[in-house]
Amino acid sequence: MKTELPIYIIIIPFAAAFILSCLAKLRPRYRKFLVLLATGIPMALTFFMLEPVRKGVILSYWLGNWQPLNGWAIGIGMAVDPLSLFMAVIIGVSTFLSGVYSFRYLENDHGVSKYYTLFLLLTGAMFAFVFSADLFNMYVFLEVMTVAAISLTIFREHKSGAIEAGFKYLITGTIGSSLVLLGVILLYSATGTLNLAQIGMKAADWNHPVVIFAFASLLTGFGVKGFLVPLHTWPPDAHMSAPSSISMILSGVLSKTGVYALIRVLYFVFQAMHLPAVQMLVIVWGVLTMVVGVIMALLQHDFKRLLAFHSVSQIGYIITALGLGTIFGATAGLYHLLNHVLFKCLLFLAAGAVLYRTHTTNLSELGGLVRKMPWTFTFFTVGAFSISGIPPFNGFASKWMIYKATAATGFYPVTMIAILVSTLTLASFVKVLYSAFLRKPTALVANISEAPFSMLLPMGLLSVGCIITGLFPEAVIEKVLSPVAGSLFVPGQYYAALFGHSFLNIGPTFSLPVFWQPLVWLLTFFLILVGLLFFVKLSKAGPLKSAGSLSNESGTVFTGGESAANSNPGADDLYWGLKHVFAPLFNWLRKAHSGVINDYAGWIVWTVVIVNLYLLIAL
Amino acid sequence: VINMNYIVSMLLMVMGLYCILQKENLLKIVMGLGILDNGLNLLLISTGYRRNGLAPILSGPDKKLMMVDPIPQALTLTSIVIGVCVTALALAIIVKVNEHYHSISAHEIRRLQG
Repeated sequence: MKTELPIYIIIIPFAAAFILSCLAKLRPRYRKFLVLLATGIPMALTFFMLEPVRKGVILSYWLGNWQPLNGWAIGIGMAVDPLSLFMAVIIGVSTFLSGVYSFRYLENDHGVSKYYTLFLLLTGAMFAFVFSADLFNMYVFLEVMTVAAISLTIFREHKSGAIEAGFKYLITGTIGSSLVLLGVILLYSATGTLNLAQIGMKAADWNHPVVIFAFASLLTGFGVKGFLVPLHTWPPDAHMSAPSSISMILSGVLSKTGVYALIRVLYFVFQAMHLPAVQMLVIVWGVLTMVVGVIMALLQHDFKRLLAFHSVSQIGYIITALGLGTIFGATAGLYHLLNHVLFKCLLFLAAGAVLYRTHTTNLSELGGLVRKMPWTFTFFTVGAFSISGIPPFNGFASKWMIYKATAATGFYPVTMIAILVSTLTLASFVKVLYSAFLRKPTALVANISEAPFSMLLPMGLLSVGCIITGLFPEAVIEKVLSPVAGSLFVPGQYYAALFGHSFLNIGPTFSLPVFWQPLVWLLTFFLILVGLLFFVKLSKAGPLKSAGSLSNESGTVFTGGESAANSNPGADDLYWGLKHVFAPLFNWLRKAHSGVINDYAGWIVWTVVIVNLYLLIAL
Repeated sequence: VINMNYIVSMLLMVMGLYCILQKENLLKIVMGLGILDNGLNLLLISTGYRRNGLAPILSGPDKKLMMVDPIPQALTLTSIVIGVCVTALALAIIVKVNEHYHSISAHEIRRLQG
């Protein structure tokens, strides 16, 4: 019975999505009930798997009962190890809360039944993605996730921003998926199998250029989903324009499936984390992500866009910690992953509550919400303090572990940068707290009231989660994180769960196609790709209209005389000094985010080329 | 032996990427995606090819060693279907883009930036 649970968890949301799309005229009350069931039952079922997995059993399931033949996978396998279950519980709880929140949030929108169809598709696809033990299956569910997420991003199609964000997400997301597919094809051609465990078993001789190219493609492709800089161009647009209940899923959970896939690739499929070259690559990538994310966040004056860039920055922390390749680093990274889900979902829901009442997310127009929405303010403050790493909230505990883990492995500069980024995060959230909640009320917020209860409830639960995981870090680490982090370093158990313990001496029982001569082909492809990139770089027509530089005017801050009592600095003015000092860097970064989709696509191709070159040279 | 299909698939992928990176017109960008997709599909189906291979039907006498690999064929079909979905979604979004911006030039669809 237990081994079939994963398949039920996947089927229920998909079936409910199908039923909902058939019954578009269903009364809202029944529809809500159905959505609650379709997100609540999978959540409950993930809890049922906690017990066996905690005892060290890895649940495996072969679809259609196509068991391995002579130790060779011929069917599609699924496996639930501690890491998968950890992700599944996160997905289950978040989607349930998002569903509850969306009932009131979407009451004025059209086509709500389509929203829930897509929402349940997204839920089911995320579950399937983390349970799958088959690389091509992961690609398929990645695409289902992406298509559903794009459609949800453009759900409010009357907003031009939503449409634009959807298109950019589609192009960047599809290039990412194509890179994943390329990696899958190359791995299949090199190993003759698609099963994660079976590829992992053959990982011993993975020094072949083809496998390295597949490795680079998979890293970049999943990096697009987990938004590592410079593949981070879609989330700010998409998180900003999507309904907040979806921004929460995109930022809190969908990005984590990207991180999950990176962990699977790095720790299980290639078992590469003991190689210093790979560690260095992942750490540098993570540090770049956290720095660029936080700088861009400082420049924002839209509530949700700012939160989105902070997501990018926090993913950098997670990736950096996971890149250390130590069990302590992995624990810290997973802890921060869990905490990021809690506080980022909370922050997006709070932003959504503000949007729901005031119909704007522009920080320059908001102000003085603390009197009007005291509960939202309280919950937002909990989230803001958590993400900035202020004790006793959970962000402090996990960031402290990350500092210790980086210092323990000798990456002192990384520790320094991580602390600095944390400070900048706090600065940025002080700005939000001040502009949206604490400064004098603007005209816009005169007649608004507190968010409804069904929206406050998920926020409250997430706040409690933030505080509990912050107050009892030892318990969380011992009960939750240690088993998960430990499982990353014994991939053999994962293989054994699928193929039994005699997995070591298995080869294909038939000969592989000999027609394939990958090396020549790849070399040519690679050279032409580099040539194309330089051609595109050189042939770009004159500079585009500027994205707008930071002005050196200090705004309306008045520091003397009686007017000072009445000054009400806007969101842009608060860190004027900082922006003034670093204006060249900030302007360069802001100009780089030009909004042109060709540039963003180019960054992805550059990334795959650079990662590939680095790995070819370093390994 | 010149493996023509690998060369063609490589060319298709690079051509697709060229369209995505270089063309301003959103429709051409989506065409680029389609070309990239087809290049990948050709590569995928080629990995299963075997000279003088037979159709992969297991019912007869033991022809296992002469069969072409059936898995890439199934994968390619899936990949084609996914490509169609993505293209349809992209074209639908372009219609909406044109309604909002009265343009389908990538250099003008950039209200979200910085």
